[in-house]
Amino acid sequence: MVAARALNSVRAIFYKVPRSAYVIGTLLIAVAFPMLNAVGVVETAWIRVGVLSLLYAMLALGLNIVMGETGLLNLGYIAFFAFGAYTTALLSSPKFDLHWPFIVLLVLSALIAMAAGFFVGLPTLRLRGDYLAIVTLAFGEIVRLTIINLPSVTNGPNGIPSINAPRPLGMKLTDTLLATNLPESLKNWLVIDKPVEYYYLVLACVAITALLLTNLKNSRIGRAWNALREDELAAVSAGITASRAKLLSVVLSAGIAGFAGCLFAYYSNVISPESFVFMQSVIVVCMVVLGGMGSIPGVILGAIVLQALPQIIRESAGAARSEFEVYRMLIFGIIVVVMVIFRPEGLLPDKEWRREAHEADPREIESTRQSLFTLEEGEKDLEV
Amino acid sequence: MSLDHIVSVTIGGLTVGMIYALIALGYTMVYGVLKFINFAHGEIFTVGGYVAAFTLFSLGANDSMPPLMLLGALLLALLAAIAVPVVLGTLVERIAYRPLRGRSRIIPLLSAIGVSIVLQQLIILVFGPTPITMPTFGIASTAVDVLGVRIRVLALVIIALSALLMMALTYLVRSTRIGKAMRATSQDMEAAEMMGIETDKTIAFTFVVGSALAGVGGLMVVLYYGSLKFDAGFLYGLKAFTAAVLGGIGNIPGAVVGAIVLGMTETYGVSVDLGFLAWFVVAGLVLGLYIQLVRAPQKRLSHIAPDRRTPEYERSIVGVYRFAPYSATKTLLAERTDALLSVSATHAMRLTLGNVFLAAVAAVFFVNGSVRIDTRWQPVITFVVLMVILMFRPSGILGDSITEKV
Amino acid sequence: MGAILELQGVSMSFGGLRAVDSLSFDVNENEIVSIIGPNGSGKTTTFNVISGLYEPDSGDILLNGESVAGLRPDRVHDKGISRTFQSLRLFSSMSVLDNVLVGMHSKGRARLLPSMLRLPSVRREEAVLRARAQEILAMFPGRFSGPRQSQAAGSLSYANRRRLEIARALASEPLLLLLDEPVAGMNPAESHEVMEQIHDLKNAGYTILMIEHDMHVVEGVSDRVIAMDHGVKIAEGSYEQVANDPRVVEAYLGKRSTDAAS
Repeated sequence: MVAARALNSVRAIFYKVPRSAYVIGTLLIAVAFPMLNAVGVVETAWIRVGVLSLLYAMLALGLNIVMGETGLLNLGYIAFFAFGAYTTALLSSPKFDLHWPFIVLLVLSALIAMAAGFFVGLPTLRLRGDYLAIVTLAFGEIVRLTIINLPSVTNGPNGIPSINAPRPLGMKLTDTLLATNLPESLKNWLVIDKPVEYYYLVLACVAITALLLTNLKNSRIGRAWNALREDELAAVSAGITASRAKLLSVVLSAGIAGFAGCLFAYYSNVISPESFVFMQSVIVVCMVVLGGMGSIPGVILGAIVLQALPQIIRESAGAARSEFEVYRMLIFGIIVVVMVIFRPEGLLPDKEWRREAHEADPREIESTRQSLFTLEEGEKDLEV
Repeated sequence: MSLDHIVSVTIGGLTVGMIYALIALGYTMVYGVLKFINFAHGEIFTVGGYVAAFTLFSLGANDSMPPLMLLGALLLALLAAIAVPVVLGTLVERIAYRPLRGRSRIIPLLSAIGVSIVLQQLIILVFGPTPITMPTFGIASTAVDVLGVRIRVLALVIIALSALLMMALTYLVRSTRIGKAMRATSQDMEAAEMMGIETDKTIAFTFVVGSALAGVGGLMVVLYYGSLKFDAGFLYGLKAFTAAVLGGIGNIPGAVVGAIVLGMTETYGVSVDLGFLAWFVVAGLVLGLYIQLVRAPQKRLSHIAPDRRTPEYERSIVGVYRFAPYSATKTLLAERTDALLSVSATHAMRLTLGNVFLAAVAAVFFVNGSVRIDTRWQPVITFVVLMVILMFRPSGILGDSITEKV
Repeated sequence: MGAILELQGVSMSFGGLRAVDSLSFDVNENEIVSIIGPNGSGKTTTFNVISGLYEPDSGDILLNGESVAGLRPDRVHDKGISRTFQSLRLFSSMSVLDNVLVGMHSKGRARLLPSMLRLPSVRREEAVLRARAQEILAMFPGRFSGPRQSQAAGSLSYANRRRLEIARALASEPLLLLLDEPVAGMNPAESHEVMEQIHDLKNAGYTILMIEHDMHVVEGVSDRVIAMDHGVKIAEGSYEQVANDPRVVEAYLGKRSTDAAS
């Protein structure tokens, strides 16, 4: 009882602080983190963990559009990530001796993933949520198996090695600038090839994506998605074209995955089909569920917790890799079940953030919690 | 293609199909009652296989045993392959699914995915990550001559035993008290509850039966193929789910039909030249064109109210179908169009897409001459079947027993 | 005062059951028409056909002389028909204001990229929509004021949820408003208030077609009443005419009681 009251007062303080303070605070910490590496407090390995966490945060942001905002389940999400990664790898590696510029590939990866999203989404979005989940799963597996079975293009299971390091300013300009006598510290940033540089690149991308998606969430389009999630029948009766709105959400989320895939390919230098197995899709789903479906800060937190925490634990426990992987997945599975049963709104629910200005009425939160995830199957209206 | 080839491929397809059917029944029964995809069902199957193999292994079963003892060992393995999955399935239902009843569709599905991961990792923790292998049995590889073709006795046993189990299941659902309760619960849970049916018990029983059948399936796979990997449940589960959807999810005979069709498609798909299908595709294309150009416009014309029937209006509706890419797009894009025209335009576009797809497939067939599918694409066949069936006919071959509106 | 809505011989059946059987009626501009009838008489199906949830098997539905039969519900809504539901269908975890804003979806134009970048044009549109939504909520004085607007719709009282559904339907300024049992489950005081509001809507120029069981409300607001039974229109006219029509009495009370009455 006492503990509960204490917890509530902590929560009250937590929600009193304006949201912008948290955002700025988080950004400051994120920006400052690599500097700890520069002064030798943190090993470079941790910067790598940071890069991967941010890449997953990007994926979680994208998946959240479909899962959290529109209420559809995509179990083949990693396939769109693969589209982005392979686009980049094929066009910027010795495989076909193509070396397209970074910016072009960033956009192209997103576009190709979006096209894939369009072609899966178009015929399938009429389906109910659970069927859609299975269709996307099948699609994800088809993509992965195709990558494995087409070695002439993708090198099959071996993957594509030696992907170029990104040069944000393009080949020529970078080479010219490298030849000049710019200070060495600036020259370093012309070719992004160190973990710290990747870290800032991905951080910037995540921050921009989060900002854009927050804007979108509070717009006409975001509301249409939420309405479809809450009650599709009422939403279409209120003038929302369900097929178009759903397709938009699937395509946009695919685009973000493609974008992340491009960054991933550059960062990891070698990509292979192993990175795009079904489990990876499930991991992203776990992140969204843990953080809170529909909550942008939530899913970022979910991604960081699930990506970084296991590393920290592994580091301190010194466990062997394969065995550790088993426990990690075991815990992920348990997290999903426990969250879904006991706290379906996630760690950082969207609702409570939005109503920070008002004193939250506990009854109201309770009823929101219930209504948020209790679908009234209410087919009563359609009965004769 | 020789006769013995046909016989051996057919028996092979039937065996695989029967194994899928045993797993598919679990999906379909649970879906029928709860409208929920039990994603963890594949793992229940794997556990069945592992437990069976483990039992045989610890009993030291091998060919040098007296036949009676070997039979005993096999029976014990069968019992274990039923008992452990049943306990597990019931536990999972109690812990992870029951608290979520009445939530929106994707919530229990998420929980099921969580359970599936947990079970898979538990299998690794208990049995280790290396695939479990069976001691080789003479029984497992004994063969007999059927129509001059050597067929493994085991395949015949699998087919017979599965058929027996399915008949028992049909009897159970059709003619027993608990079967009646299951059917009532699947029709309308609330009403069933009000009529005094203990729905919780009924649902638990559904999980018991489904898990038991999956466990038997696990044993069969282990005997038939000799090994099983910890993540086998994923692919087997998906194939079985495909079978269930193919036959019409929630429909018990449908699951069996779907499983056999899928098993046959898979086996035939990779072992024969599919070139002969070319003419079927062409026939399909002709039918598609007939529907688009003749039948569909006719049907639509009958919808026109008598007082609005003008030759000009009729021509425009027919035109929408005949010149779909041009005329239908124009109609769809026009802001204020007549309802009948607009509905026809959507329909015409859909028909055109289908026909273009058929034409493309036909072209591939005729350009290539012979079409052979490599075995490594076999899982892809399943996934494509799954996607296509869900997109075009989600109610399956026999129709799902639950009709859903909207 | 021409007919806004015309139903011409609309039929709809499910399997063998004819839920609506060659139904024809008109709704004129700025008129309030009520449909009454016992449960299962096809009233809600009629609404579902008009609002595009079902495509009629035969017959035509004209809105301002233009056919809308068989259009998708969202297109029907765009053309100017909006509706409420018998069993409340609010977006319960969205805020009160957002619910109304969703009703104004077709009024907005903001597209994907501008919305993501929150361009000035998007902000302006959003501000206009929000202001309009507040005006609509202000039509229910004292019910959705101030902080209530950011509450989740699911946390409102039952009567307020019914009101919010009407507000959402009004948000698109429809040519025709379909109200499916607007006072179901309300106490007499609340239903009286809704009645007043329906009057206000008529004075504001709205055309309303409603289904209602509460005869006080039907009597109080309707210009015309249509009675249905087994999918067929059995009577039409003023409240008094319909209420005293022997076929209507029979439909509600059964054959024997009419015999006894006569």
